[in-house]
Amino acid sequence: MPSLRDIRNRIGSVRSTRQITKAMKMVSAAKLRRAQDAVLKTRPYAILLDQTLSRLAARAAAEEQVAHPLLAPRDQRTAEVVVVTSDRGLAGGFNSNICRFVQRFLTENGDRFERIALSTVGKKGREYFKARKLDIRKDYTGIHANLAYEKAEALAREATERYLAGEVDTVFLAYNEFKSAISQKPVVVQLLPIDTSAAAADTAGIDFRYEPSREALLAELLPRHVAMQVWRALLESAASEHGARMSAMESATKNAEEMIASLSLQYNRARQAYVTKELMEIVGGAEALK
Amino acid sequence: MALTLDIVTPEKRVLSVQVDEVRAPGVQGGFGVRLNHEPFMTALEPGRLTYVEGGREHHYAVGGGFLQVADNRVIVLADTAEAAGEIDVERARKAFEDAQNRLLQLTEQDEGHSAESARVRRAAARLTVAGR
Repeated sequence: MPSLRDIRNRIGSVRSTRQITKAMKMVSAAKLRRAQDAVLKTRPYAILLDQTLSRLAARAAAEEQVAHPLLAPRDQRTAEVVVVTSDRGLAGGFNSNICRFVQRFLTENGDRFERIALSTVGKKGREYFKARKLDIRKDYTGIHANLAYEKAEALAREATERYLAGEVDTVFLAYNEFKSAISQKPVVVQLLPIDTSAAAADTAGIDFRYEPSREALLAELLPRHVAMQVWRALLESAASEHGARMSAMESATKNAEEMIASLSLQYNRARQAYVTKELMEIVGGAEALK
Repeated sequence: MALTLDIVTPEKRVLSVQVDEVRAPGVQGGFGVRLNHEPFMTALEPGRLTYVEGGREHHYAVGGGFLQVADNRVIVLADTAEAAGEIDVERARKAFEDAQNRLLQLTEQDEGHSAESARVRRAAARLTVAGR
């Protein structure tokens, strides 16, 4: 039977834990709103870029021109997976979900490729794969600290260069897709070569005049498309992270409250028992004096 | 009847307004767009994009991108875009000098040379636009 003081101390410590989880929840809620906003803000650009791209690509395809190297699939012998995780923990299953998902992806696709390299964004992913003795080709650090489009662009550029140099035949991007504040879905998308089959072919056929040329424009647009995909993945992952942390902290707060309630009950019972025991002793003492 | 001008960047929608005229820095030289311009698509250099609305000129620093005109709608997909009034001249100058110094350390074979030189041109464009 723990003493009264022990229980009181425990209640105190659970209370302060609750305070922290509550504060973290509020902070995450605010950050989530901002992150969601950032995702929405990329939409106009993404839509217009895709539109422009499918206009150019559809036309090139219609005239059976040589496709751009970024569009042409080739023999896929080596692959790379870039995993987007977070720098910070305490976000429920956010990081372990995506890491386990990627590990499954690696085992399932091990036969398809001679070699699959792994790159990580975020400390948690690096720690996870390091602990499992997997080689990490490159660890992109400091991306989350100050999320900016330039960083997405740099990552995309490096992947593109490696692809064009033939070091890797296909690049995948794995991240937590933002579904809602309480749900995230780990996904893997193909970053390179660019898959335009999904893009609605715009053959409405406005006859543009192109400057400098259609091929040159396509060559300029494609890297931006890649950068945009990376950028979206980073933003979605950030929004997912805050959402996951918010719900994790919410349930932690709830658990703390339940714990406080049961500890208080225990405390009151113990106190009651103590008072009863004292009374009995007094009564017993008085009885003995008679 | 007027032209609709949309400027979007990966980070946000910068502008969506009705204008009379747009002037932009194309890769093959500056050009202007007025009502009923032919369908046109071009890459943009980092530089000054100006639109005229009711006789007033508004300036933007764009950091490269694309412009397309069709059906009296001008769409600018810019890498970056800032209104002239929003640019901090001091910071722009510092960014320009930093980028220039970094570029001087690199030779053309170095990885990142083209990225750095693009950065210098972007910074230079911002500085010129802010200067007015």
